[in-house]
Amino acid sequence: MDLTLAIIVTVVGASTPILIAALGELVVERAGVLNLGVEGMMLIGAIAGFVVQFHTGNPYLALLSGAAAGTAASLIFGFLTLSLSANQTATGLALTIFGTGFSALAGSSYSARPVTLMQPLLPEQLADHPIGRVIFGYSFPVYFAFVMVVAVRYFLHSTRAGLILRAVGENDQSAHSIGYSVIGVRYLAVMFGGAMAGIAGACFPLLLTPQWAERMTAGRGWIAVALVVFASWRPLRLLAGAYLFGLVMTMELYAKAGGGVLSVIPSELWAALPYLATIVVLVLISLRRDATTNAPACLGKPFLPTN
Amino acid sequence: MQFRLEKRREPSQFMLYATPVAAVALTMIVGAIIFSLIGYDGVGAVREIFLTPLTNAYKWQDLGVKAAPLIIIGVGLSIAYRANVWNIGAEGQYVIGGLAGTGIALLTYGMTGWWILPLMVLAGMLGGMAYAAIPALLRTRLNVNEILTSLMLTYASVQLIYYLIRAPWKDPMGMGFPQTRLFSEAARLPFIIPGTIVHLGVPIAVVVGLVAWFIMTRSVFGYRMRVVGAAPHAARYGGFSEHKTIWLALLVSGALAGLAGVLEVAGPFQRMVPGFPTNYGFTAIIVAFLGRLNPLGVIVAGVVLAITFVGGEVAQTTIGLPNAATGIFQAMMLFFLLAGDILIKYRVRRVVPQPSQGAA
Amino acid sequence: MTLSRRNFVKVGGAAMALPLLGSSAFAQLEKVKVGFIYVGTINDNGYNYAHNQGRLYVEEHLGDKVETIYVENVPEGPDCERVLRELAQQGCNLIFATSFGFGDSVVKVAPQFPDVAFEHATGYMSGPNIGLYNARFYEGRAVCGTIAGHMSETGKYGYIGSFPIPEVVMGINAFVLAARKVNPDATIKPVYISTWNDPAKEADAARAMIDQGIDVIAQHTDGPAALQVAAERGIVGGFGQGADMSAFAPETQLTAIIDHWGPHYLASAEAVLAGTWVPGNTWEGLKEDVVQMGPYGAKVPADVVAAAEAMRTGQIDGSVHIFTGPINDNTGVERVPAGTTMTDAELLSMDWYVEGVEQPA
Repeated sequence: MDLTLAIIVTVVGASTPILIAALGELVVERAGVLNLGVEGMMLIGAIAGFVVQFHTGNPYLALLSGAAAGTAASLIFGFLTLSLSANQTATGLALTIFGTGFSALAGSSYSARPVTLMQPLLPEQLADHPIGRVIFGYSFPVYFAFVMVVAVRYFLHSTRAGLILRAVGENDQSAHSIGYSVIGVRYLAVMFGGAMAGIAGACFPLLLTPQWAERMTAGRGWIAVALVVFASWRPLRLLAGAYLFGLVMTMELYAKAGGGVLSVIPSELWAALPYLATIVVLVLISLRRDATTNAPACLGKPFLPTN
Repeated sequence: MQFRLEKRREPSQFMLYATPVAAVALTMIVGAIIFSLIGYDGVGAVREIFLTPLTNAYKWQDLGVKAAPLIIIGVGLSIAYRANVWNIGAEGQYVIGGLAGTGIALLTYGMTGWWILPLMVLAGMLGGMAYAAIPALLRTRLNVNEILTSLMLTYASVQLIYYLIRAPWKDPMGMGFPQTRLFSEAARLPFIIPGTIVHLGVPIAVVVGLVAWFIMTRSVFGYRMRVVGAAPHAARYGGFSEHKTIWLALLVSGALAGLAGVLEVAGPFQRMVPGFPTNYGFTAIIVAFLGRLNPLGVIVAGVVLAITFVGGEVAQTTIGLPNAATGIFQAMMLFFLLAGDILIKYRVRRVVPQPSQGAA
Repeated sequence: MTLSRRNFVKVGGAAMALPLLGSSAFAQLEKVKVGFIYVGTINDNGYNYAHNQGRLYVEEHLGDKVETIYVENVPEGPDCERVLRELAQQGCNLIFATSFGFGDSVVKVAPQFPDVAFEHATGYMSGPNIGLYNARFYEGRAVCGTIAGHMSETGKYGYIGSFPIPEVVMGINAFVLAARKVNPDATIKPVYISTWNDPAKEADAARAMIDQGIDVIAQHTDGPAALQVAAERGIVGGFGQGADMSAFAPETQLTAIIDHWGPHYLASAEAVLAGTWVPGNTWEGLKEDVVQMGPYGAKVPADVVAAAEAMRTGQIDGSVHIFTGPINDNTGVERVPAGTTMTDAELLSMDWYVEGVEQPA
């Protein structure tokens, strides 16, 4: 029992950043934009968060600056793809290259410098009991991620603004002809995606390993991109998917450390599992006759008004 | 004074070719300014990254070797992108091509014969093709977005390398290090210029570019690709099946990525190592765009990217510019290029503001 | 760029006196230019950082008689080949390739520059102008293992490795051999994470092991992540790897193994200056100061410090060699008879685990 609880705690840590980043990307993709720069924006968020945490020791300020830095990075992407209708795939890749280089340069004087981890959000007494620890013992980003899942779901499905955003992603020409600003909506979505990726990046030094290391997100931005597809662009499935991916990433290590049946699975298969699972899910979705949950129709296509 | 964008009746041929040149020039200017502002030798950085590899004849062989895989993959991608098929998993197809070639090299280990290398090349191209066939199948049969599937497959392919070289293909004499044994002589790509590292893959890259250019401009295949990409509806009326085009686009780009993979493993690497995936497949996407999806342009763009890689190392040794700067220069170049794309279809018009009218 | 290629192509009279064996000949120099290539960034707080400290050590000691340059984040493959030639062409007289995976490239490039001295870390392929160097990190592991043997309450240790190469296997074995001299029931669990630098994965691996009962952790990856988790979870302790990492976990770091390449780099640079460099195959350790132990943590009691010091000094004066038999492997088969010490060649190809190591998956 104790081990199960301990595993849950680690899974929560591993899942939170990919959940936050993927939630942002989900909104971006729902608006019809494919931003493959998540990894780059996460790295920029990570270094921004680290630097602020190092100098101020205020983790909330650190998360906020991660969000601001991620937003700034996403605006490069937004300007190119939305204002100048540049190719989204290429721009996203360029953003990842940029984020990797920029964060390495900005962080070069911050090696060998630890920061303090973010403290649990709730009063310690609640986390005294093991079960309490598993439920109440986390710092702010973990709960933030849950709240945001609910908020994003509510926004997309129960608000007028969410409806407009989905309309923009499904049929930009119609949305435009009704009089909505396709570009404006997409800008807001891209900025939200950048802010979330930045927060997710800042979680690395604040939540997982309190240091700065070049490329410390180590490909998790790509896992977030996969996750959005895995969840077939649905927030609640995204939550489940993030925890499933987190479990896969974590169980490999617990299995190796503890021995047992699972430990015979090669680590390479564990590492490839999220991606293979995503392809399988894509196939399964498409096989369904009532495929209402497929990708946003305008995903990745630039908007050029036809008038 | 205000400006507004106005759609051109015809895409500007001048801008098509002027914008990549302008992007490189702007990168050099802005890069010099930015790096000077943050305390590096900005002008020196630009000189070492962009000019030294060109002016130093000793570096030309490096440019050729570095550019070859970028060109081969970039040519394939430019063909696919022309047809609006977004294969971004060339890295995975490159890896599988390299692995297929490695498989043949290990099977024929210790043997001699002229047939070994051609067999490896064939296996590599088939491997890349087979891996690209997965997104093609999913796209044509199930309408699954090929951007997503080809990307996911890339990450899976890298894990396959790690598995193979750690377990079944591990070099028995390699001190336990995860890598295969060195290929025997017959499985290594020959050098073509004595005393240099220029291997057979370099002229192959140029030939691939020229042949592709010829096919794209002079054959029905090229016409089909361009028409389907530019005007899918017209293409349907013209009798070009969209599915067949998707298949062709993915198989051709996959085969070329696989070719690059097998040439790379048989040439510079001569064995499979964990460091084999060096992002050529992703960098080639930049190359394809920088080369304007034109095979001849891709040859030039491949060399330009190679210059930044080689020059980035020169700048580290001569002026102490950190490795991260190379990535920033490459990203900047692509940003400027993509920003300039709009000028092909639109022109900038100066608008005399009129009191009664708001901004456009 | 004060030193031009003029100096590096100059083959002096001293070299002419040497018999021509097809090997390279080295002239005396007034100034030596030394190149370093690193597989990662110099800011990794660990392996590459330590090599770069070695470079700075040479600069500090030779002053204006040396110029050093480096290239970081060099991928192991053809890119490395190009960087090596770049360094040689820049006029380097001596080039250190600091990662195992650079070996193929060194072997290809070195013959093209017979006047340049190449040294390859942790490799096994030498040549007329290719020297090999390595450090006996396992000696440091033995000191760490001694501390673990005394201080652990559960007698279970965790060890995060990248890949099961001999270098890593040797370290695990040395650690547990030393620990079992104190606590014969001690066991160690290696977990391989297939990467040298993914701090979040290292941290999660540490959590996974701590949650399953280990209370001392060691790692053979590049950063301080595991040590930080040890501090976060409040287990008995962990060890710095590559560099003193006490800044990251001041209470928890029991000691650190410090890669102190400086003396070796300095000696090679001086040899090149004097024209006496020959390709060697050095494997130095605590005795030569190439491996150092970091400060003992505040919570290490005096008697444990004494035991650790005995292990350290014993290895320096040669009275202790941790790989002296009897040694059984982890299936119970005797591999090294009593009184026999494993040879360096046996150590450098070690692919089996000693008793006390739980077989990793």
